[in-house]
Amino acid sequence: MNAVDKALLPRLALRLISGNHACALAAVAAGCRFFAGYPITPSSEIAERLSRLLPEVDGVFVQMEDEIASIAAVIGASMGGVKALTATSGPGFSLKQENIGYAAGAEIPCVIVNVMRGGPSTGMPTRPAQGDIMQSRWGSHGDYPIIVLAPASVREIYSETLRAFDLAETCRTPVVLLYDQVIAQLTETVELVAAEGIRAERKWASGAREAYQPYASDGGAIPAMSRPGAGYRVHTTGLNHAENGFPTQDPETVARNLGRLLGKFEHHRDAIDSWQAIGCEDAEVVIVAIGISARAATRAIELARAGGLRLGLFRPITLWPFPEDALRAAAKHARAVLVPEMNAGQLSLEVERILGSKRVHAIHRYNGEPITPAEIAARAAAVLKEKAT
Amino acid sequence: MSSTFVDSAADFDVRDYLRMDMMPHFLCPGCGHGIALRALLWAMHELGIAKDQLAVVSGIGCAGRLSAYIDANTFHVTHGRPLAYATGLALARPDLHVVVITGDGDCLAIGGNHLIHACRRNLKLTCLMLNNEIYGMTGGQVSPTTSETMLTSTTPLGNSEPSFDACALAAAAGAGFVGREVTRHVPRLKELIKAGLAHPGFAFVEVLSDCTEIFGRKNDLGSSPEMMLRQKSDIRPSAYRDSVDTPFRANELPTGILAQTNRPEYGAAYRRAAAAQRASAAAQAGSANAKEDS
Amino acid sequence: MRDARLEIRIGGTGGQGLILSAKMLADALCAAGQRVAQSQTYEPTSRGGYCNSDLVVSDREVDFPLTTALDCLVLLDRMAVKPSWLLLKRGALVIADTRLCPELPGGDYRVHHLPLTRSAIELGSERVANIVALGALAALSAVCERKALEQAVRADTPKSFLDLNMDALAAGYGLAARATGDAPRAALPSCDRG
Repeated sequence: MNAVDKALLPRLALRLISGNHACALAAVAAGCRFFAGYPITPSSEIAERLSRLLPEVDGVFVQMEDEIASIAAVIGASMGGVKALTATSGPGFSLKQENIGYAAGAEIPCVIVNVMRGGPSTGMPTRPAQGDIMQSRWGSHGDYPIIVLAPASVREIYSETLRAFDLAETCRTPVVLLYDQVIAQLTETVELVAAEGIRAERKWASGAREAYQPYASDGGAIPAMSRPGAGYRVHTTGLNHAENGFPTQDPETVARNLGRLLGKFEHHRDAIDSWQAIGCEDAEVVIVAIGISARAATRAIELARAGGLRLGLFRPITLWPFPEDALRAAAKHARAVLVPEMNAGQLSLEVERILGSKRVHAIHRYNGEPITPAEIAARAAAVLKEKAT
Repeated sequence: MSSTFVDSAADFDVRDYLRMDMMPHFLCPGCGHGIALRALLWAMHELGIAKDQLAVVSGIGCAGRLSAYIDANTFHVTHGRPLAYATGLALARPDLHVVVITGDGDCLAIGGNHLIHACRRNLKLTCLMLNNEIYGMTGGQVSPTTSETMLTSTTPLGNSEPSFDACALAAAAGAGFVGREVTRHVPRLKELIKAGLAHPGFAFVEVLSDCTEIFGRKNDLGSSPEMMLRQKSDIRPSAYRDSVDTPFRANELPTGILAQTNRPEYGAAYRRAAAAQRASAAAQAGSANAKEDS
Repeated sequence: MRDARLEIRIGGTGGQGLILSAKMLADALCAAGQRVAQSQTYEPTSRGGYCNSDLVVSDREVDFPLTTALDCLVLLDRMAVKPSWLLLKRGALVIADTRLCPELPGGDYRVHHLPLTRSAIELGSERVANIVALGALAALSAVCERKALEQAVRADTPKSFLDLNMDALAAGYGLAARATGDAPRAALPSCDRG
């Protein structure tokens, strides 16, 4: 047992924990040793937990002066070679976007938790929403790749936080953990295994300085990073850069390097893609949902099947890049597709795009009240009836 | 500040610290920023800071571009945020010398919040703010340090806002080390940066640097040598040590070390508290084990 | 369809310790091997705004973790009546504080009006009304063993409040016993635990 497991063991024995608590525990288990944040409901519990946990494992917690400084400090710590996390909610996520773009462009690993609450603007701080689905993918300016994971339970917040740190390192990218207020502040019985912890470490540059290229294009491989102090003395910039890291506006060089950046996840989709499909094989209606809406759908399937209506659920756990092929396969035989989501229409747009000709129905809810299993079951029945007539 | 300077110019070759393959640099003829860069590297040389142990974090603007020329671990980050990036880097890597290079707009306008909190927090960092009173790269717009009545591309009627005295601001926000120098006095500037680099906490060093091409031309301030001759280096040690009356610029800015205190450095204080907590937890666990064993 | 869910709500206002009492109950159920999901609804006003803390209990993984049909409802303030009343299942157990929630709409429910806050005040602090309510809830619903609940309350209580909280819990059990004439409680019919 390593020191981290030992430090966490008394807590791992606890079986009732909240989503935000699970996130903090998993971050430490994944090797996160730096957190910078700014207080915001409903994510502050992550900061509060880590302010106690990190000093225990020789890590650093710092509450910064604002949301922008928090993400900046996290990227700074990661540039120094330390796994780093920040956590926020809608308004803070908006403020962090420019620097998330920097991390994506300069390829600095980091993990950002965004607990979704009502919006726009200050919205409803204590009520759930799922209105940041598109922002999590497209929130910063310009073209850039990003990975977004959408856990739906406390248990899954734990496992997806571990995976977020893994993917951040192996793909050299910011990873967003996106979950709603319900899941964040929900306390559930979970069984955590102490052995679950660090699975991926950063790939560090080795060999001669002259031969090292911080943004080398090597097939589909993610280029290695160099640790400050290790003798490579590289330049990192938010400007478009060449393989050597220095700024360039040469069209060919920009196209080549930005092209590699934008396509860099494609070689790693096996590790990145993750989804859950329940009962899709024989489903008349396939529901596509994340977070609390997916939990409602899970129950709706049971309610509906008990009444003779065959529903299925496709739940993207990796929300971006969207597991497109898996969705197409899951929805192949369905007569209809239904997307319940707590926003005015975001996931349904992506599902429509992927499924092309298939009519996509949706429940769009933005009043802070979660969609219930009964509502989903009733709407699915109505959709089929509509089709039949 | 000591009145005699160690003149190591003979054994200092700035090219040893520059990425010479990045030359020619992009600064305008007559720009003061190159002098400031040279002074920084000279100070580093005299302190014996290894290039590998130096991390330079810079923001956006003319000053922000300087990091690319330094043969060190360099990070050119987003506008206004170099102090925030550097805070994370310095906390995560206390073994590195972290230097921020920023401009007056980067540091005092878009990054003003980070500056006052970096001063308050007192993490070991050296912040070199190159003040040329203008947003040069974007075409000469008014900045928080543009002198009153001056013409810029966004103050066609003359600047009517008061300008910040950045050192007074930093001192009032609690910076442990505050100093200012002009580019005209290179050895003095080098000595000031050296003192800042050697300071155990947050050090704020303002360099008054001329923008000849954009600011000077617009305001008929003459050639680069003429502008430089107008610079005044008026040493008033510890001018801001006791109190700061106003954060606004007076006609004459004092230079030299303007405030110096030895407040506890944040990173070390944090690590000490954490170590103490770990020790006490270990002691508790030890005594609990002993009880179980007996 | 076999529905293994049991849904409980403790409703009142912020600052009454509703989340703490729900957490204690959840701990007791968890220790007994039950699957529990505990959620809360609250307003940005930390003190005095409407607040509820809900539990969904099951002997398997809880799918939808929020309440949709309440088996048990504890009301520590009249503010909690309106958002909760329509969620009640037929025959559900309702425990309401006599002082803070004196009037209830009608319906086919097992209603007990109990002096929860008054008992707490008599014990020395209105702040333990949540624990009195917890005791009454556990006794009237038979949702968990008294011993397990006592253990959970003990574990979640700072030393200086231990006696007071244990007295409050006992007072809750006492109120329930008087209300039902000491009749032994059967498990709720809707709670299928095999």
